[in-house]
Amino acid sequence: MDKNQSKIIELIDVCKEFDGVSVVENMNLYVHKGEFVTFLGPSGCGKTTTLRMIAGFEMPTSGQILLNGKDISNLPPNKRPVNTVFQKYALFPHLNVFENVAFGLKLQRVEKTYTDKKGRVKNKLERLPDSVIAEKVKNALEIVDLTGFEKRSVSTLSGGQQQRIAIARAIVNEPEILLLDEPLGALDLKMRKEMQLELKAMHKRLGITFIYVTHDQEEALTMSDTIVVMSDGSIQQIGTPEEIYNEPKNTFVADFIGESNIFSGVMAKDYEVRFCGKAFECVDKDFEQNEPVDVVVRPEDVKIKAADAGQLKGKVTSVIFKGIHYQILVQCGRYEIEIQSTSAPEVGDTVGLVIKPNGIHVMKKKFRVNKFSGVITKRNTVEFGDGEFECDVTQLYPGSHLDEEGYLITAKGEKLDLTDTEVNVEVGLHDITMSDNEDEGGAQGNIISLIYKSEYYRYIVRTENEEDYVLACEDLWNENDRVSLIIPKDKIKLTLKVAEGKKV
Amino acid sequence: MTKLRPRFSRKLLAIPYALFLAIFVVVPLLIIVYYAFTDADGSFTFDNIAMFFSGSGSDSFFESAQFKTIMQSLFISFMSTLICLLIAYPVAYIIATCKLKNKSGLLLLFIVPMWVNFVLRVNALKELLDWIGIYNKSNGWNLFNTILGMVYDFLPFMILPIYTTIIKIDKSYLEAARDLGAGGAKTFLKVTLPLSKAGIMSGVSMVFLPSMTNYVVSNYMTFNHTKIIGSFIDECFKNDLWNMGSVTALLLLTLMFFMTWATGGFNAQEDAGRRGTSLW
Repeated sequence: MDKNQSKIIELIDVCKEFDGVSVVENMNLYVHKGEFVTFLGPSGCGKTTTLRMIAGFEMPTSGQILLNGKDISNLPPNKRPVNTVFQKYALFPHLNVFENVAFGLKLQRVEKTYTDKKGRVKNKLERLPDSVIAEKVKNALEIVDLTGFEKRSVSTLSGGQQQRIAIARAIVNEPEILLLDEPLGALDLKMRKEMQLELKAMHKRLGITFIYVTHDQEEALTMSDTIVVMSDGSIQQIGTPEEIYNEPKNTFVADFIGESNIFSGVMAKDYEVRFCGKAFECVDKDFEQNEPVDVVVRPEDVKIKAADAGQLKGKVTSVIFKGIHYQILVQCGRYEIEIQSTSAPEVGDTVGLVIKPNGIHVMKKKFRVNKFSGVITKRNTVEFGDGEFECDVTQLYPGSHLDEEGYLITAKGEKLDLTDTEVNVEVGLHDITMSDNEDEGGAQGNIISLIYKSEYYRYIVRTENEEDYVLACEDLWNENDRVSLIIPKDKIKLTLKVAEGKKV
Repeated sequence: MTKLRPRFSRKLLAIPYALFLAIFVVVPLLIIVYYAFTDADGSFTFDNIAMFFSGSGSDSFFESAQFKTIMQSLFISFMSTLICLLIAYPVAYIIATCKLKNKSGLLLLFIVPMWVNFVLRVNALKELLDWIGIYNKSNGWNLFNTILGMVYDFLPFMILPIYTTIIKIDKSYLEAARDLGAGGAKTFLKVTLPLSKAGIMSGVSMVFLPSMTNYVVSNYMTFNHTKIIGSFIDECFKNDLWNMGSVTALLLLTLMFFMTWATGGFNAQEDAGRRGTSLW
């Protein structure tokens, strides 16, 4: 990106609250002149609110919005050189196509200098002459490829045509910025693809700055110069489509943009990361030694080799034809890996998998809790992280209880056998304690890392099968100490992986 | 298909209304038509219409009592409707656009008076005017009082449809107008007002047409001094002039039909009529 380009719009510490609920938090962002910027995120992430603040329909609770360096935060929408294409078009139903497109032009006033009878030179504001309006409307309709539709009533147009009229109505005013709020959401897939390309071409031709809001990652990747990925009211990453796709900053971005395999791993040393029980060469460095990290691998970066030729070995569990490629699932021990490939092995084949260093994206982990995949045993305990712990299985079904035989009775009175039910397990950092009595805890391992965090030490304990527990403890232990891990029953948080247990 | 057993269909639900329509609307209308085109002996004639337009004695139609009554009715209706509109629109607009949560409560304030018996209300208004001292004072005051009575009586019928259309206007239209450079006033004139036209038209027809004929108001408010077309018809029937009364009623019907047609009243409900237009 050319840093010398002028910033057309800049958001500084913008916050927006609705009834005390924060929707946009400390947004800092600038957009260069002529850029095609997309706000991308799931619904409710604050992208539309941000757009509406730029348009002037919402006033920021705090912070500033600068347009060409001038604060426009409190300027009403009609005073901003910005036009919007609305999600549901919002074409005026009482006006025909021409009148809709000409709506903004008819409101424009141009300053005109004239000499009055006494010879004084004066300025006055004048409407645009009808001929100029007609010419501009004609040009705008030409741009959206709807020449000759002037007299048509808006209600007789198809969704796609209405969309084009909405765009014409906005661009005819020659705004400095064109805002588009999920404009293609209501169109069918084929139409949407066409319009995406047309919009991009239009952007090139007009040279106007486009700010586009969508929840469709493919749309964002196709059209944008810059993508702003948002979640929960804050920006997750700003970058070109390539950067966002190839170098996602965190697991949210990785997960939201495209398909991805996300693993919990540990950075063994510079250029080496461990996940799935193996060490991989990677291109990342400057992490703390043994720092827990998230590892993202795109399905197309996993290559299938002969069974013994790969870094990982697994069994093919599913092959689905997707048109251009196959989507293949390979089970490697406890890890399921998704692969995209143009050639497909047979289901049941044992294959080797190779991941090249530049296909491995390592990102800092926002560490909050230990997350494991677990299985409920016959004794209603849970197996995870290379150990077995007592747990409270009734939390899986609200209002349920256990009968004397150990079956779970749900609130509705259904009797469930939870044996082999797959669950997600979460254990907080401070909920694990260590003991040197081997039999006291549910899992055993060696301390591989300890970091002093001013109030406590943070330990990473690795079990024999390469499962890592992260825990906090005020006492000092030594590296390589063999410990047993104790987790109180009520601190193990379980959620179901699939919705239902087996019915008895 | 051979379906022998008669089956219940939704169409059957329309029978009670169809019967009602036949007995209380179609048949009386036919009776009016019958009387309008027959003389005292029951034989077919156009004399009644001729008589209505001929005037009385040497006066031409334009100087006759009927003509004056029609003009007076039109004037009263027009003024009542105009005043109703001028009062109702701002009220409806303010209630529909205010940020209050309990809009219907506010709206109720304007509707509750309708729940009080109509004759009682008109009588109360009469007493009030009497107390002020403008009751039955002069022809001018009588006209004023009649219009006042009509406005008082019909105002809710103007507020409701306008309120309903304004509240249904999609906010994005207003935002689009602001976005395209229209200020508050321009947005109102170019978007809100045209989009609430349907409500205005239905309000107008709900006020204009009844105030042509609601002679109860005019009689009460003016001690029977101000005649409107309704009172004229009433007097005809009271004085056994059934033929004349029927002709006047029929002409009034025709007039209203044309006025509704001319103001686009039949189109205003176009959207509503799209579903269920073909009953049978």
